[in-house]
Amino acid sequence: MGRKVLVIDDDPDLVEAVSLVLRAKNYEVISAYGGVEGFDKAKKENPDAIILDVMMPDKDGYTVCKELKADEKLRDIPVLLLTAVVSHIPTTRYTLQMGMETEADDYIDKPAEPEELVRRVEALLAKKGA
Amino acid sequence: MDSHGTILVIDDEEIMREGCYRILSREGLEVIPAENGFVGLEIIRERKDDIDTILLDLMMPGMSGMEVLEKILEIDRDLITIVITGYATVESAVQAMKKGAYDFISKPFTPDQLRLVVKRSLEKRQLIKEAEYLRRERERSLRDIATEKSKLKTIINCMADGVLVSDRDGCIVLTNPAANLMLTLPDGQLIGRHITECDLPEELRASVEKSLSSDDHSFKTISQELFLERVKPLYLRAHTASVYAESGEIMGTVTILQDISHLKELDKMKSDFVAMVAHELRSPLATVEQQLGVILTGLAGEITETQHHLLTRAQERTRGVLRLIKDLLDLSKVEAGRFIQYKEPISLDELLGKIVEGNLPEAKAKNITLTYSSEGGNFFISADSEGMEVVFNNLLSNALKFTPNGGRVGVHLVDLGSHVKVVVSDTGIGIEKEDIPRIFDKFYRAKSTDKRRIWGTGLGLTIVKAIVDAHLGSINVESEVGKGSTFTVLLPKETEEVICP
Repeated sequence: MGRKVLVIDDDPDLVEAVSLVLRAKNYEVISAYGGVEGFDKAKKENPDAIILDVMMPDKDGYTVCKELKADEKLRDIPVLLLTAVVSHIPTTRYTLQMGMETEADDYIDKPAEPEELVRRVEALLAKKGA
Repeated sequence: MDSHGTILVIDDEEIMREGCYRILSREGLEVIPAENGFVGLEIIRERKDDIDTILLDLMMPGMSGMEVLEKILEIDRDLITIVITGYATVESAVQAMKKGAYDFISKPFTPDQLRLVVKRSLEKRQLIKEAEYLRRERERSLRDIATEKSKLKTIINCMADGVLVSDRDGCIVLTNPAANLMLTLPDGQLIGRHITECDLPEELRASVEKSLSSDDHSFKTISQELFLERVKPLYLRAHTASVYAESGEIMGTVTILQDISHLKELDKMKSDFVAMVAHELRSPLATVEQQLGVILTGLAGEITETQHHLLTRAQERTRGVLRLIKDLLDLSKVEAGRFIQYKEPISLDELLGKIVEGNLPEAKAKNITLTYSSEGGNFFISADSEGMEVVFNNLLSNALKFTPNGGRVGVHLVDLGSHVKVVVSDTGIGIEKEDIPRIFDKFYRAKSTDKRRIWGTGLGLTIVKAIVDAHLGSINVESEVGKGSTFTVLLPKETEEVICP
């Protein structure tokens, strides 16, 4: 089972922190610092999972996700959205919008607890492998 | 009839003047004698309005009675003159009557005859006075109405707000220049035309029609925002209300149009600013917290216990600020009316169930029993679901926050017919009596020392109340220190289709 994860976020510090968490769990982490770069890297590197930030200046996460899901070769890569909604409780409308508009496989609020982040990535990879 | 009056007697014979005086004084009348026409006319000129009746002898030396009569009528045609004719000279009496005398009396006459003719003349005089009074009143009322109308017309024409009035059939009877400008219609072009024949925005026409067909007599205004793109983009707020007659039937509608484009522009600037703040403040903080999390889990190398403690505190502080930012964003959303913008039928039962479920981990962590129950919860209310989430999430997390380990927190939903009641109760530390009236104020936090270690922004309940208010609901709190608090929210199932801010 592949363990290559692509982290896309315009904030290099956040990319670094997330990468540290994943590397500690023996994931191979590649990073991109924007939506455009992220999509290109996804194509080139063919990762096993993608962690995708929503708010990015060049191209937002929703758009990147849509493009990924519209691409035949990339469609099957699970996407975990990093949402900047500061809310410790899932909101129904948000869930609804996410489900309808982005086709992302899962989402997690930023900042994410390291353990929780790892758990979500594991789950996505397991789903993909199944 | 007024029993008092003033009679002028013009007669050259003293005996006549005295006779009249005697008879008429006894009737409570003032009698002014004049021994000839000159004196009589002099008195009339001076006291025209006082004199009710003139007794005028036709046969006088010097100026004849007929001449005097002519002069009297020149002074005032409404003066009542009774001519006294001598010895059955009916022709002169007829002549005097033709000229304008009111009545005549022939010499010799009995006191009764005099009293009768004077009494009749006084009645006539009274009628003339009353008619004159009424005529003046009517004239004044008409003048007042004209002034009022012109004043109103000027006010309406000078108003910055647009005014559009329709009659009960939906024909336009009045528009002002502001309305014509906003709706880009030539002046007066709409008057008399039916709303369906005018180039009005669809929503405006619909609300006029709705107001006309409304059989609900309670006063109700339909407010709505319109966006027009005619000459330039224009945001209008339109308030339409029915006009009722005294009998209660609809007489027409009045619509007031306000140009709110500049408010919209400001609102957009504010939202942009808030979004900017949200992103620029929150993102770095989220990153800092992420970094702290990484260090705390030991992923960046071993850390000592002291370092762990300090970093944990640092993480709590960043979380506090993140929460504050979230609350400020919520508050600005409430103030911009954004939590009542998307009203839809929502199932409170489902929503509360989800919220309670979402809070279970927190309850579990403090070993608090968190329960949810509903009585006849199978209904929908018209509300903004995000707003409702914020309300009950805040109430519930407050309850959990202020309830010590091992306590109980309950959420209970009751269907009250036209309203629903949601009760959030806890066995927490409670609220001091003097704090209760102020807990909904911005940034107010109860001063109890126990709470020093409990984080909070002091905005949660302000947001809750603002959202509940915006849904035309109410919130009420009962609390006993040391025993717990109960928050009761009442919400109408169907709120008015449109809310006037």
